[in-house]
Amino acid sequence: MAAEQKKTLPDIFVEGARKGWNVGVNSIVPNVLMAYVLIQVLRVSGVLDILGNVFNPVMALFGLPGKAAVVLIGSWMSMAGGAGVAASLYAANALDKTQVTILLPAIFLMGAQVQYMGRCLGTAGVNPRYYPVLFGISIFNAMIAMLVMRLFA
Amino acid sequence: MSEEKREFREPPKPLVPWTGYVAFVFAIIFFSGLLSSQKGWFIAFDFNTVAGTFGTMKDAAKATFMGQGGLGARDGFMFAISLVPSVMCALGVVEIIDHLGGLKAAQKLLSPLLRPLLGIPGITGLAMVTSFQSTDAGAGMTRMLRETECITEKEKTIFAAFQFSAGGTITNYLAIGAALFSFITIPIVVPLALMFVLKVVGANIMRFYLIWFAKKEN
Repeated sequence: MAAEQKKTLPDIFVEGARKGWNVGVNSIVPNVLMAYVLIQVLRVSGVLDILGNVFNPVMALFGLPGKAAVVLIGSWMSMAGGAGVAASLYAANALDKTQVTILLPAIFLMGAQVQYMGRCLGTAGVNPRYYPVLFGISIFNAMIAMLVMRLFA
Repeated sequence: MSEEKREFREPPKPLVPWTGYVAFVFAIIFFSGLLSSQKGWFIAFDFNTVAGTFGTMKDAAKATFMGQGGLGARDGFMFAISLVPSVMCALGVVEIIDHLGGLKAAQKLLSPLLRPLLGIPGITGLAMVTSFQSTDAGAGMTRMLRETECITEKEKTIFAAFQFSAGGTITNYLAIGAALFSFITIPIVVPLALMFVLKVVGANIMRFYLIWFAKKEN
């Protein structure tokens, strides 16, 4: 404790910034890169357009184009991946600012479920019989968020 | 081990220094984005202003060091690198707020709300505030609360439902959401507030599901 109090505020900031560096290098860079590669593969293969058409009717409910479904699928695997897909689609003019705003909270609310099944539910020791409900709640939250954000964005 | 147990059995009554409340209020203002459109000295207290902007390339007014028209892995890498400074800046400030007692203040203000809002005891306040920063640490503390019988199995499941949707809320939003902050149309605090509301909604769906489930089993 005594040693802790000797630290100055700049020291503490640097400690936090170091954590930020580790998050950036170990999580954000690889996940965002994965998302950009995924979008590139989907785009040059023409699958992105097909997905866009398939999901158009559903995503229209939320004021989004069909391609936005890829953002949600990406975020389900990893939050940084979902954000990367959104940024990539924005850069390619497939999403506009309003649509990114609608998607933003949903990326987190249903984000990284595949990882958090182990890291959150597994670690806390939740009974696996509740997993489907827990997944459902998160996806429900994301859908409500998109409907609400449609009013604000 | 026995000491650790005792620590969890007694409801934590954190001593919050006055700097804690100041830091907590500062944190809300700093990360809210509400000051970003203002003019004057106080924009120094806005996250996006402090995180700053990259310089642009010659000629093209819009192009940053990432250049324009990039594609694929190379463009993704440049974009991801462009996110790292704001993540470092955000986590640096969060660390200071934590050091000044800002998170303890949040915990103290939060604890009395937990029973009415979520149906879980105030003792989960520390684990909850931790879960906003780190999914893994929050889940680990939740497990410990259950193992020391500070919470019931049912309360643990409700609490897990709260943590599972938008896990690591603050850290992830500030670190990863920063990728999109520059092109959203509203202050960054609005989506964050909505996420907190929906986390509570989701936990309550679990709460009522468990009641319904118990009735069905009997």
